[in-house]
Amino acid sequence: MSDQKKDDEIYPIAVLVEELKNEDVQLRLNSLRQISTIAQAVGQERTRSELIPFLNDATDDEDEVLLVLADELGNLVEFVGGGEYAHTILPPLTTLASVEETVVREKTVEAIKKISKEMGEDQIQEFLYPVLKQLATGKWFTSRSSACGLFSICYQNVDEETKTELRQLFSDLCKDPTPMVRRSAAKGLAVLVPYVGRENLRKELIPLFVKLAEDDQDRVRLLAVDNCVALSKILTEDEFITYVIPTLKSCAKDRSWRVRYMVAERFCQLSEPIEPEVTKNDLVEVFIGLLKDNEEEVRTCATLRIAELCGQIRVYQDVIKDAILPVIEELSKDFSDNVKIALAASVTELAPIIGKEMTVEKLVPLYLDLLKEDISDVKLNIISKLDTVTQVITIEVLASTLLPVVVELFEDRQWRVRNAVIEYIPKLAIQLGVQFFDEKLTDLTMSWLKDSVFKIRQTAARNLVKLTKVFGSDWCMEHLLPHIFKLLEEPNYKIKQTGMYSLTVLAPELGNEIVTEKILPKIKNLKSDKVANVKLYLAKTLKSLLPYLEENTIQQEVKPCLNELAKDEDPDVKHFATSALNKIS
Amino acid sequence: MDLDWCLEKLTKNPPEVLPEQVVKGITEQLKEALIYESNVAMVESPVSVVGDLHGQYYDLVELFRVGGECPETNYLFLGNYVDRGFYSVETISLLVCLKLHYPRRITLLRGNHESKGVTQVYGFYSECLRKYGNANVWKYFTDMFNYLQLAALIDEKIFCVHGGLSPSISSINQIRVLDRFQEIPPEGALTDLVWSDPDAVEQETKPSPRGAGHIFGSQLVDKFLQDNKINHIIRSNQLCMDGHQVLFSGKLITIWSAPNFCYRCGNVASILEVFKANNSLTLKYNTYTAAPENERIIPSLETTKEIPDYFK
Repeated sequence: MSDQKKDDEIYPIAVLVEELKNEDVQLRLNSLRQISTIAQAVGQERTRSELIPFLNDATDDEDEVLLVLADELGNLVEFVGGGEYAHTILPPLTTLASVEETVVREKTVEAIKKISKEMGEDQIQEFLYPVLKQLATGKWFTSRSSACGLFSICYQNVDEETKTELRQLFSDLCKDPTPMVRRSAAKGLAVLVPYVGRENLRKELIPLFVKLAEDDQDRVRLLAVDNCVALSKILTEDEFITYVIPTLKSCAKDRSWRVRYMVAERFCQLSEPIEPEVTKNDLVEVFIGLLKDNEEEVRTCATLRIAELCGQIRVYQDVIKDAILPVIEELSKDFSDNVKIALAASVTELAPIIGKEMTVEKLVPLYLDLLKEDISDVKLNIISKLDTVTQVITIEVLASTLLPVVVELFEDRQWRVRNAVIEYIPKLAIQLGVQFFDEKLTDLTMSWLKDSVFKIRQTAARNLVKLTKVFGSDWCMEHLLPHIFKLLEEPNYKIKQTGMYSLTVLAPELGNEIVTEKILPKIKNLKSDKVANVKLYLAKTLKSLLPYLEENTIQQEVKPCLNELAKDEDPDVKHFATSALNKIS
Repeated sequence: MDLDWCLEKLTKNPPEVLPEQVVKGITEQLKEALIYESNVAMVESPVSVVGDLHGQYYDLVELFRVGGECPETNYLFLGNYVDRGFYSVETISLLVCLKLHYPRRITLLRGNHESKGVTQVYGFYSECLRKYGNANVWKYFTDMFNYLQLAALIDEKIFCVHGGLSPSISSINQIRVLDRFQEIPPEGALTDLVWSDPDAVEQETKPSPRGAGHIFGSQLVDKFLQDNKINHIIRSNQLCMDGHQVLFSGKLITIWSAPNFCYRCGNVASILEVFKANNSLTLKYNTYTAAPENERIIPSLETTKEIPDYFK
């Protein structure tokens, strides 16, 4: 190979060497992100023999830089020659696995796992296992902590003798004097569980799991909950009852609220794979304990999962009725706002699970209480899912109990609550029927079109469309249009605009004939309004209505009107009129 | 200058700031438009009057949800767009773009925070530094502030200003002849207009404890209304827990539009809708609370750009 060619090939590395000496962190970072390109340029052999060793020496730098280095190293497998040579990337990664900064170590472990996926069993046995052993028995807690993340990928690919050694190493790490290492081990345990086989699971891993669950550091204990979830997927029912439930119960009564919170958080994931009978017998009382916990966060977390849990044990209706519903009633009087907000979110979903009778007897009074709370998120959570309830109970019950309270909320101070009520009304309309609606709700529905909040007026207008879809365009013409036309004569320009907007959104439902004969004449009256905003809105409205008008109507009725507006002295009226005219041509 | 593009960026969630060159462009353009405008804007009803915003961008978005969007709705802003909140840049950028796009639909007056001196202390300067890496954008905006109009008259009957009255001003015409194209001076008529506060009890006009402007009472208000043949004064400048406050039997109204001010005062905000009904001017308050937590993003205060040299 000529000297020139040799220089060409090592030149990129020389540039990298220089750049990594630069004072500016940004420049060093940018250089490191080019490593794959450099590796590709210098070829596989030189990547292995020069680039990687150089990078092994570049591991003394700021954390930001090391993070990028770890990330880039994980991408180099194809540039060193594929899985056969992947292990050559291990040395710098091994060094990085021992640094102080947790984020860098975590990225390094990810990178090692990434390159190990490309390695064959032989390479893992020959190269990864020694690295793991070196890290696991290292002097610094940082390397031992990193080792914990590598067990699962290593374990699957080594021989029996090595597996035994790995289990021993893991066991030592679970008993490590440093809490950080025990934490990593606890995390690693859940991942290892599927691979060790039932015998080893029972004899070795489960005792380790129990020990970690009794650790004196709460941050280690709370990881036991995730381990419970992992075990629930593998063990038989009996094994689960014998080995896991006792630990779970003590976690649910742990002195640290973080551990109890974790139990609440993962509760439904835990109970999902096991038989409802086991859940009913052993877990319901744990759950109730969490609903009554001293710590607000724990209660809130558990409360959010009430419906899901009850769904899992729905065959046991009497358990739900006798054990869980009484607690729910207490929760509705909880002094914490967050608990009540969580309760409002989950309690509507309970209705389909417990059926009509129970819902009317036990849940409807609860909904009524919550709807009277002063906390708008509570009201919002109930109203937005109220149709789940109305599908369960009869319309008579709905009309006599919930509806009056909902109607009061039409005038809630918070516009978002009013908004949620408006969104709910069409869903109700279908069940209530035309007559009931006309008697009780039409006036209220129209009053929203004059609400002082813009968004409410918009929602109310779109609401008319949904109602028209349910009750038909004839109903709309008879009951809604007269009111809307009156809006066009209100003194307030915003209400006139709402009128026009309502007509625009209703146009598709009403059809060309009505738009041409009834709507167009009324809105054209506005062309001589004194307020420019009304005129510009008219121009916008005419433009939106064009698809619903015949060609000759457009030429004879609309175009002249727009031409007039286009000559208005106000530039915005002119602009919107011209835009509409352009659409016609 | 593609204002639609600018408005699209600024109305995203979260909003995106405009590039430095674009800010230069829009502030130049607005200066050119304002140079010909009188110190007193003549505004026609209907119009919605808005008080202090103080960089609370998400609450400005909430304001548009409650009060309606521009250009369908007319707005008159009384100043104090920047400082204290986290989003002064986005707030003033949005308003400048709206003003350029729809000049007849929105009026922007000058508040006491539209000043180089004040913005260096109360947050706008450091926000610009954080978001752009240098002070150029701050300079473009604060140069532009010197061009903002000082007061407005709605239907020749309602006088609107950021702060209040001045002992050296008895007629609106006197305001018209002031030279407004300067940084707000430490004292004088211009200063009074953006710094003064009314007092429900005080009869005499006195220097304000704020250190700029004056305190004035019903005497000066009555005289001003009578001499200028107007009915009301609408101003901002002072926090109102209820979003607005009415003094002197309705003659003077304070309007405040920054809900939960500084993200902790717990106050509500108001805008004042002025429109004609049955041939007389009607005033209607539209009150609202801060945009809810899940609709706002608290920015991280990490410095993403180079810290300026004088800190090194």
